[in-house]
Amino acid sequence: MASAARSVGRWDSGLLIACVVLSLVAQGLPDGLRASVTASLRRTILAPLVKMQYNAELSRRSWLTREARTVAEDSVALRSMRLAGVENENVRLRRMLGLGHALRWGFVPAEALTRREPGEEYSVVLSAGSQDGVRPFSPVVAPEGLVGMVKEVDPSMSVAILWTNPDFRVSAMTADGAAFGIVAAHLAGGADRYLLEMRGVPLRSTLAPGTLVLSSGLGGVYPRGIPIGTVLGQIKTSEVWAHTYLLRPTVLPADVREVMILLPRRAMAGVAGVWTQGASADSAAKSIVAAEDSIVRRAARLGAGTGSAPAADSAHAPGAGGAGRRDRP
Amino acid sequence: MRPTDALRTLLAFIVLVVLHFTLRPLLGWRASPDFFVIALLLVAIRVRPGTAAVLGFAMGLVSDSLAITAFGIGALALCVVGFAASWLKAVFFADDVVLNAFFFFLGKWAFDAIVLIGEHRLGFIATARELLVWSSLSAAVTALAGLIVLLILRPLLRTAAS
Repeated sequence: MASAARSVGRWDSGLLIACVVLSLVAQGLPDGLRASVTASLRRTILAPLVKMQYNAELSRRSWLTREARTVAEDSVALRSMRLAGVENENVRLRRMLGLGHALRWGFVPAEALTRREPGEEYSVVLSAGSQDGVRPFSPVVAPEGLVGMVKEVDPSMSVAILWTNPDFRVSAMTADGAAFGIVAAHLAGGADRYLLEMRGVPLRSTLAPGTLVLSSGLGGVYPRGIPIGTVLGQIKTSEVWAHTYLLRPTVLPADVREVMILLPRRAMAGVAGVWTQGASADSAAKSIVAAEDSIVRRAARLGAGTGSAPAADSAHAPGAGGAGRRDRP
Repeated sequence: MRPTDALRTLLAFIVLVVLHFTLRPLLGWRASPDFFVIALLLVAIRVRPGTAAVLGFAMGLVSDSLAITAFGIGALALCVVGFAASWLKAVFFADDVVLNAFFFFLGKWAFDAIVLIGEHRLGFIATARELLVWSSLSAAVTALAGLIVLLILRPLLRTAAS
């Protein structure tokens, strides 16, 4: 910046005084006159500036609105993601309700808390204990099939081993009763660790892939007819006089959330007809869901007739520990 | 000032006025740069104090017409700032970055001070807080913006000033 030397002359002082006086006069103008002056200025020579200012403010507002809309869209997306979890839980609980209806008596619904400590990933803590009638060696089942067995019992909780536990054993048979064997966890590495193997199948028996394997009821712990898994194929072992088959389990450990603990009397009485025998595990699960649907329909009819809450609300019972216990035939 | 120089200065002035009515509302900062003051100071140091006072008065009227503040107070503030800038530049003849920034800072702060005191809208404490905090911040931002403008328009203004 450069400047020429200037001095304040009389003319400059006069102009300054005039401007100051005019400014003071403008301040002292009556409101009506002031409004008309400013309005006429805005409508004439200042119109382009007003328009520019208006457009700039409009742009800023639309930018801010866009940000708010993005936040709203994100929250809707988040809610829809949560909704998928709620829907999955709803399906699980409906299946549990169907299983409860099929079992009718002698079970305790419980919530399973998976233990993540090293060496304890093959067991779960159940939210039901001896106060609810749970005893050691009680079978633990899910709508899809066998989960495991209760090992330790406290008054309000218990610990169960899953079928993935190396100590797990169950006497098993094919759905048609043609072949028997012992099912245990497949102690291999990698993804195969979450498979089962059926050992001791007689040489004369050949199991086709897809054959459903159920508990046989031998041994007195697991009642007959609980789905365990389906045959994937035969595996080579050192056994000479028997076959060993690899099974795909009906219940995956990651899906174990809500379970049913069969009370001793119920285990002794058997679970015939609860899981449809002779069909695949999938169709068995579907039959349980269908049974649950019939409960919902019946509850809806009852609710419409009496005004009471539908029985479907009892689907929350698994989360409440022993609240949904049924131990009478 | 030669006609071509006047034209260049006028061009810079128009750019700054446009920025005042476009960029400033777009930023929406509480302590935003006052391109009006920058434009006035840019012209004021190139003209006589009386002319700067008249220009400041006109710009003040424009500013007052678009604001809800007391009509005339902006005109008074800008004419005083314009006159003082022109006179001070004549007294402290120098072309220095720091001095220019100080000019912008002082001009904006003086403008805010005259408007706030002239309005009588706020109490003493609130006025003092506004002057010490927000006006100072706004003046600093204006000084920074003024320096950036000078750097960008340097070729244009140097030719105009030489």
